[in-house]
Amino acid sequence: MSDGSVLDHHSPYETPLHRDESAIAGMWLFLASEALLFGGLFLVCLVYSQTRAAGWAAGVRHTDLTIGAVNTLVLITSSAVYTMAVAAGQRGDNRGVVRFGLGAAVLGMAFLALKGVEWGQEFRESLFPGPHFALHGPDSGGAALFYSFYFLATFLHGMHMVVGIGLILWVCRKARHGAFGPAWSTPVDVVGLYWSFVDLVWMLLFPLLYLIGRR
Amino acid sequence: MAQSYLWQDGTLRSWLLTRDHKRIALLYLGSITFFFALGGVGAALIRLQLLEPTGAILSDAAYNRVFTLHGVVMVWLFLVPSIPVTLGNFLVPLMLGARDLAFPRLNLISWYLFVASGLLVLYGLFWGGLETGWTFYTPLSSDYSEGRVLPVVLGIFLNGFSSIATGVNFIVSIHQLRAPGMTWYRLPLMLWALYATSVIFVLATPVLGITLLLLAFERLFRVGVFDPGLGGDPLLFQQMFWFYSHPAVYIMILPGMGVVSEIVSTFCRKPVFGYRFVAWSSVSIAAIGFIVWGHHMFVAGESLYSAIVFSMFSFFVSVPSAIKVFNWLGTMHGGAIRLDAPMLYAMGFIGLFTVGGLTGLFLASLAADVHLTQTYFVVAHFHYIMVGGMVSAYFGGLHYWWPKITGRMYPEIWGRLAAALIFFGFNLTFFPQFILGFEGMPRRYATYPAQFQILNVLSSAGAGILAVAYVMPLVYFGWSLFRGARAPDNPWGATGLEWRTPSPPPTENFAETPVVTTDAYDYGELDARTGVADSGGAHHV
Amino acid sequence: MGRIAICWGMLVLLLAAELAATWAGYGIAVCVAAVLMVLVIVLGFMQILRGPKLAVIFALGGLFWLTILLALGSLDSFTRTTVPVPGPALPDRAAGLQEGG
Repeated sequence: MSDGSVLDHHSPYETPLHRDESAIAGMWLFLASEALLFGGLFLVCLVYSQTRAAGWAAGVRHTDLTIGAVNTLVLITSSAVYTMAVAAGQRGDNRGVVRFGLGAAVLGMAFLALKGVEWGQEFRESLFPGPHFALHGPDSGGAALFYSFYFLATFLHGMHMVVGIGLILWVCRKARHGAFGPAWSTPVDVVGLYWSFVDLVWMLLFPLLYLIGRR
Repeated sequence: MAQSYLWQDGTLRSWLLTRDHKRIALLYLGSITFFFALGGVGAALIRLQLLEPTGAILSDAAYNRVFTLHGVVMVWLFLVPSIPVTLGNFLVPLMLGARDLAFPRLNLISWYLFVASGLLVLYGLFWGGLETGWTFYTPLSSDYSEGRVLPVVLGIFLNGFSSIATGVNFIVSIHQLRAPGMTWYRLPLMLWALYATSVIFVLATPVLGITLLLLAFERLFRVGVFDPGLGGDPLLFQQMFWFYSHPAVYIMILPGMGVVSEIVSTFCRKPVFGYRFVAWSSVSIAAIGFIVWGHHMFVAGESLYSAIVFSMFSFFVSVPSAIKVFNWLGTMHGGAIRLDAPMLYAMGFIGLFTVGGLTGLFLASLAADVHLTQTYFVVAHFHYIMVGGMVSAYFGGLHYWWPKITGRMYPEIWGRLAAALIFFGFNLTFFPQFILGFEGMPRRYATYPAQFQILNVLSSAGAGILAVAYVMPLVYFGWSLFRGARAPDNPWGATGLEWRTPSPPPTENFAETPVVTTDAYDYGELDARTGVADSGGAHHV
Repeated sequence: MGRIAICWGMLVLLLAAELAATWAGYGIAVCVAAVLMVLVIVLGFMQILRGPKLAVIFALGGLFWLTILLALGSLDSFTRTTVPVPGPALPDRAAGLQEGG
């Protein structure tokens, strides 16, 4: 296991700090890019929730608020727990990284499991848009648009969750081999940025999918 | 002396797993040369078809597939990556005085993503074909197309990640890896241009990604995201598509502008006139370029308010572009101009880009656009920017840095001949298309009224010349790899850190980290350092 | 630890506020709460201010371009004049697909 607190001689950096700051900055830049990926979805939501307001709101009313709210709580907690792993990493506490990291990953999986239950429910109720879409009447088109948005947004967010869980497990594996110390725990930090970002996106998706237009 | 990066370790494995930015640049160079040739074959088929009013060789359906192939391959697999991933990858660390890019592994991953995306796109284009054009407008692409929309769209989605990785790498490198003394205003203008390009890579590409994902989702499950039958808005697809694809035009042209700034300064032996204006015009082109996309939908039912706003911004973007052109001319004014091949390409760029830019103003005007849009006028306009501008700059840059990349000189006479031939062939191909478009010949049709035949034949003849002219560099570059004269460290007497290291550079770029004490393009300092009045790397200390 | 617990508590409270605002029908309050939650995450969990200055620049850049996307991207849809087409309404696509499929 290479020790990240020293530079190998091919590294383009002057000092380890220089390298670690670049990694953090690079992750933020990538997250800015990710923000625009979800930004396209938000644009669709912004336009259709205004131009097809009635149907859109009908769709919002059919989502399962209980599961949505519980999932939000789960994700808040997961993000908080992972932040504790980051703090542990900065202390050089590898066992802490593993413990909190696994906790965050398990909560992430719980989120995905609940999401799966919710999806299953929605498929059974024929809420997936298409020829057999369950909602009828003059506003059914808008509701179908809402559910297109709903399924794609939750799918894309779920994919980010899967990637995030994978990254966390990778960090845990490194920590189990004692890779981190007070001088170097950048991978824990960088993955933390990503994981919190995935959480952040859900903080925006949750009101859009479940709350705004419900009443 | 350290060994050059080319021969450090010659195994195939060492090339395929390399993290050296210079080797990755060459991997990219090989891949995009292949795609350039493939797109060129598409262009040749199009021009052959249009020799006759009824269509010479292809059925209508085949024609649709061929122009889609040409557009998709040229835009996404050649033009967008072209200069950044080849010259940019090679030069960014060298110009900064750094050992490598900020994230060398990410750089290699980006090449693999590019290759994977290329294969997916090729699979779609050749096993089934696609007839939507490179723009994939809905509802044609989502509901009606019988072609392989999904593999092509997913391929381009992947390609986007490759672009983003390159963009992140460049931006962080330019912020973090500048050599001691290399302040922002001492950066070569190529780096300002690549920085601006990278901003677009990072912030526009994801929107294309999500747009294509929505399209794929709609097509795969027939759910109607943009489907007007469900109250969806097909124009929203175009808004989102062009949010990326218009800035992508600046992805294609900005690096070319950077190359031209370098070449013009070197071959006039003068600092670039108005350095700061040229530097900031790159940034403002990138920024304003983000807010003009709506001019692609003036006749598509876009609201009048929206159209007025976008038309206005489109006029704004011509200001920084004009600043660049005038400053290049100001640099050349009174300079000791040497007309080597790179300079011929750069001068071609300036002229052709100006024509392309000025005709863009016609299209940005709401009233004129109604007449000209969807005609060959548009085709000619953007080919003047993309081919006349960008491809000229790309070839100019390849010639200019070829000695540094390979350690060999190319044959100068042939280089000049090819440059002249490209300029001539290009104008013969595309100038008639302005007239065709103005007279009303619509684009993307397999046939046309007989009255347009003369101009079409001229255009096709030009394309033939252009094809020959593009093959020439391939031949003599290949020849020079083995037989070319050994290149000195600084064959052009240029400033810039890349010329202070051997040709080809060692793997670690510089024996010791260079220290920068002067502005870019300081020829006085260069002469003082090398002790020669009219340069020449042979006397390099 | 204290910082993380406080942030977690704030997020839970904001979530409760969102639900209450939804029940009361205040859409704006929901939006405000959501933005506050994002701020808590960015400042509290991601600790943007403790990282390199570049992080702030990149985040603000992303936000700025996101604003351009949302503002100019929706401008067309919100200002478009829809001219009603005389004659019978468009056939229902969903119904058409059902018959065809």
